[in-house]
Amino acid sequence: MLGSRTPSGPEILPPRYARPRLLDEALALRHGGAQIIAGGTDFYPARVGRPLYDRDVPCVLDLTALAELRGIQDEAGCHRIGALTSWTEIAEAPLPAQFYCLQAVAREVGGRQIQNRGTIGGNLCNASPAADGVPALLALGAEIELLSRAGKRVLPLSEFIRGPRQIALRADEIASAVVIPKPKGAAHSSFVKLGARKYLVISIVMAAGYLDVVGSRIAEARIAVGACSPVAQRLPALEAALKGEVAISSLSRLVKPEHLAPLKPIDDVRASAEYREEAALTVVRRLLEELSA
Amino acid sequence: MKRPPTSQPTTSSGATAREDGVFNRRHFLVGTATSAVLPLSFGTTGVREAVTDAALPTQVPSSSVALLVNGRTHRLILDNRTTLLDALREHLALTGTKKGCDHGQCGACTVHLDGEPILSCLTLVASVEGRAVTTIEGLAQADGALHPVQQAFIDHDAFQCGYCTPGQIMSAVACVEGDRAGSDAEIREYMSGNLCRCAAYPNIVAAIRAAKTEVRS
Ligand SMILES: Cc1cc2nc3c(=O)[nH]c(=O)nc-3n(C[C@H](O)[C@H](O)[C@H](O)COP(=O)(O)OP(=O)(O)OC[C@H]3O[C@@H](n4cnc5c(N)ncnc54)[C@H](O)[C@@H]3O)c2cc1C
Ligand code: FES
Ligand code: FES
Repeated sequence: MLGSRTPSGPEILPPRYARPRLLDEALALRHGGAQIIAGGTDFYPARVGRPLYDRDVPCVLDLTALAELRGIQDEAGCHRIGALTSWTEIAEAPLPAQFYCLQAVAREVGGRQIQNRGTIGGNLCNASPAADGVPALLALGAEIELLSRAGKRVLPLSEFIRGPRQIALRADEIASAVVIPKPKGAAHSSFVKLGARKYLVISIVMAAGYLDVVGSRIAEARIAVGACSPVAQRLPALEAALKGEVAISSLSRLVKPEHLAPLKPIDDVRASAEYREEAALTVVRRLLEELSA
Repeated sequence: MKRPPTSQPTTSSGATAREDGVFNRRHFLVGTATSAVLPLSFGTTGVREAVTDAALPTQVPSSSVALLVNGRTHRLILDNRTTLLDALREHLALTGTKKGCDHGQCGACTVHLDGEPILSCLTLVASVEGRAVTTIEGLAQADGALHPVQQAFIDHDAFQCGYCTPGQIMSAVACVEGDRAGSDAEIREYMSGNLCRCAAYPNIVAAIRAAKTEVRS
């Protein structure tokens, strides 16, 4: 029950709480084993029926005062999105068409209150199979930057998220940014989410797609589907079929059921595996219709 | 199962806010076995009163938080796990903010943090130190005149049981003041984090549409 957030016995004492403004201080606390909290929108709900903090955590490290980890920078060859950037900030930023998929995600993660507090870093580090940010960032070819006192590591997102709630984050690291490469030509992207209702809903299936168009042809395509496998998956066979196609043609005709082979949908409270399989095909076709438009 | 409040009013020798925000003598102390509370109230006389609950275990790590709510600063010493929602309701007796689900799904606990709507049930009170919190109690003018959005909710019958209403109004105020009420579709999207068990949705949208005109003029 929820009451265990504030247990009645003295056995689970709440740890120290820190909200540093300086990155060095945050990294030092993390080095000492601090447990991270960002917007808290996954942190609390995941702890229903459990103590609010893990046992033996010496300190809770609230990252929300670290201004350095917030905001979007346009740099040579890439865009950097600070891990603490909220979904509202992403939705409202003046970004090129390449980022449409991510901005669509930003408007569909929970409701406005969740978007104001929830962060892109929290979405990735929480690593839910239904995290809407994951397929979008896979489609954008994102890498994630991890900081510790020992220095910086950069991992492709596909290597960072290893399984449901499993990430390649060391106990002394903080995810600091998401790095997204710039396209060669004119890129655009799109996101389609299927839930049981229009808003405030966890995805049954969601798909994101990115096309980098050079001249009139697709130079690179990345399509990723979420909530149909332990971790969102790209569809390499479909991506290969799209490469070289004329970008404005009706692309949905290229989608074949066998392109969805990397997906392993399961039954859960939101939908059956069978439904998901069928829905995924429709969602991917819709995605490609949007991308052709 | 619903979580019991983290703290129960346990004695009558604490401090509580009167409607005008000045602390009166009918003190009201809240605390539990694990939650220490030390309200220091700053009354109009400038007299500072401090109350502690001697029964609280001293080893519970707690934070001293200067909480700026509706323009007034309250100094509280709270267990680190206390949410903003529990601090408002149980420690400041601002019970206008409602606890619906207590895990982010209903919007009943919506307050403003620096003018933006957030969920107080998903926010640690220690994390809002130095930032301005506005609750439903902070919307009306000092003379009691309602905020145009509050008035519009009444005029348009935008509630039935009223439990979701404080949260709806806090989101609606941000929607109108943030210029996000351009169309019914835009209003619905903005308000999607606030559920209404009585399904007063059409009237809520109508109230916001009307309030928008009112706030503009
Ligand atoms: C009502 C509701 C609706 C929601 N709807 C959606 C939805 O539609 N789609 C969706 O994808 N998600 C949804 N979510 C989940 C959540 O809002 C998002 O995943 C959000 O982006 C999480 O970010 P956060 O900052 O709140 O993370 P937190 O809750 O603060 O953290 C989540 C986890 O990541 C870790 N972490 C956070 N930041 C870092 C960092 N920088 N470095 C290392 N570790 C870190 C934390 O330790 C924690 O384990 C919803 C949540 C709620 C309550
Ligand atoms: S009580 Fe906070 S969202 Fe329901
Ligand atoms: S008026 Fe009853 S829940 Fe909204």
